Amino acid sequence: MDAILQIIAIFAVISGAAFSILGLLGVIRMPDVYTRLHATGKVGVFGVVFLLIAAIVWLPAGRGKALMLILFLLLAGPVTAHALASAAYRTGIPFARPIRDDLEHLASAPLNDADTPSA
Amino acid sequence: MLSTLYLTLGIYVLLLILALWRVWRGENAIDRLIGVDLVTVLTLGILVILALIYRDSIFIDVALGLAALGFITTIALAKHIADEQMF
Amino acid sequence: MQLWMIFGLWLVYLALTSNLEFSNLVVGLLIALGLTALLRPSPYPLRLQRIPGMAWALLRYGIMVGKDVFLGGLQVARFTLDPKLPIHPAVIAIPSGAEAELATALSAHTITLSPGAVVIEIGEQGMMYTHTLDVTMPDEAYFKMQRQRRDLLTRILPSPPT
Repeated sequence: MDAILQIIAIFAVISGAAFSILGLLGVIRMPDVYTRLHATGKVGVFGVVFLLIAAIVWLPAGRGKALMLILFLLLAGPVTAHALASAAYRTGIPFARPIRDDLEHLASAPLNDADTPSA
Repeated sequence: MLSTLYLTLGIYVLLLILALWRVWRGENAIDRLIGVDLVTVLTLGILVILALIYRDSIFIDVALGLAALGFITTIALAKHIADEQMF
Repeated sequence: MQLWMIFGLWLVYLALTSNLEFSNLVVGLLIALGLTALLRPSPYPLRLQRIPGMAWALLRYGIMVGKDVFLGGLQVARFTLDPKLPIHPAVIAIPSGAEAELATALSAHTITLSPGAVVIEIGEQGMMYTHTLDVTMPDEAYFKMQRQRRDLLTRILPSPPT
């Protein structure tokens, strides 16, 4: 039983490391901020979560904590990605080689109330 | 098991150096912020690997704190850059 | 709904302390009660006979999200490893189709969770401006997936107080 758990843990650790390497490779190769965000999301969602799965299997004492950390990462990852993408769009960072942009017609008009100083 | 873990630890430290290089040589503020987020996530991974190496769950507590802190840091800085005001 | 919140907070506390002694159970319950009293969540009407349907929809939603995340991860991995980097980035407007804002927010969260798509902006009437890494699918495919998400989410979420 212990041997099987160990194999699962090793497999999870190796996949986590592989996805993290892929994510970093994506960050270096991608042309602009928005496409880079897709790559970093993968380090958070796949890389660390696979390591935490290994921790759940291999560390009986830390099971609850690791599970909570997985849930937190899955909740927080998209929120961070959206905040960064929104901030990038509002500061006017251009897209690299876009096929089409449905947001274009909104770019001239103020987005929500971001451009008006709030009291 | 242990040799795999030490190898993974080495890989993560290398990736951390690459991410720090991205923070240093970012194209713009958002790019650097993505680098900071990446550094936090990779440090999280290193802490989990340390927990696996020493078989001690106290490192996961540290990882929980770091995850919360990194999340708030990134959100607050992104909002600050976008709106040019904090709250 | 408040009972659910107390129970959830209690479970989180017990998972974090991983200690099932009686004193710890009591302390966790007290903390959960205190937090709920402090935050005062608005009471949602929750009928008991809806719970099996909610659980079933939640399970299907979980499977759907898992499949999306897995396929998206493989796709992004393939793009990253390809020496030519064959990405076709674009911003697509996807109507969320949900009336409740919570359902729109959760749809946007799910879309951003799957690698290869990030919601940049939520505009008028829940229009989600989504940046995708690859737009080889026709628009109708994205809309169909969003309709599936919307249907499951409206079944999971309790009806908001009107």
